[in-house]
Amino acid sequence: VKRGSVARKYRKNILDFASGFRGAHSRLFRTATQQKQKALTRAYVDRKNKKRTLRRLWIARINAVARRYGSTHSGLIHDFYKNRVLLNCKILAQVATLDAYSFLKIIEEVNEKKS
Amino acid sequence: MRLGRLASTIAIHIRGKDLPTYTPSVDMGAFVIVVNAEKIAVTGKKRYQKLYRRHSGRPGGMKVETFDQLQQRIPERIVEHAVRGMLPKGRLGRRLFTKLKVYKGPEHPHAAQKPVPLPISDKRIMLDK
Repeated sequence: VKRGSVARKYRKNILDFASGFRGAHSRLFRTATQQKQKALTRAYVDRKNKKRTLRRLWIARINAVARRYGSTHSGLIHDFYKNRVLLNCKILAQVATLDAYSFLKIIEEVNEKKS
Repeated sequence: MRLGRLASTIAIHIRGKDLPTYTPSVDMGAFVIVVNAEKIAVTGKKRYQKLYRRHSGRPGGMKVETFDQLQQRIPERIVEHAVRGMLPKGRLGRRLFTKLKVYKGPEHPHAAQKPVPLPISDKRIMLDK
């Protein structure tokens, strides 16, 4: 019984996944298998890490704007929670980046509510 | 102006951490020009006790200088050394370091870039003044 093209299809599958990898990692089947395994593992881990790193970035940006106006990120978040401004899920660091005016308005409102 | 406090403010501006568009993987900070570098101060006995070490790579090639001596010799290096320690290490950190320009004396050759005085919001520095 001849084995036909089954093996070829199996190897092609893996090599297609590894297209765009550097050097032997996209050309040689045995190294490509290893790299595919690594890539998938790293993708899994990094999907979880992405949530962490993005949050770090948002916090750094909010901190930058907060410090420019005399408070800190932690102080700002504390005031937001106390005054029930629950809308800030850090993606509203986007607000700070793209629409600085609205961000200032939010801060002003919270300062008014405080006093 | 105290060495560490100045260096830390400089490093924040060079890295771009005071901007809402802060991106850690990109060089988006500001250039910083420091003048009158020989007027930098340290407290306590550091002027005579703080050591700057460098090694020439050969055995027995470590050279040690005090703050005082280095300030008389090459005062720019003191500020550069302090800021370099506060910037990230690595390829991007090295490039960020090239954004720092330090000069002895009050003149600098960058008048064409129309530099703006650095906004200092560090409470310790404000309290000093």
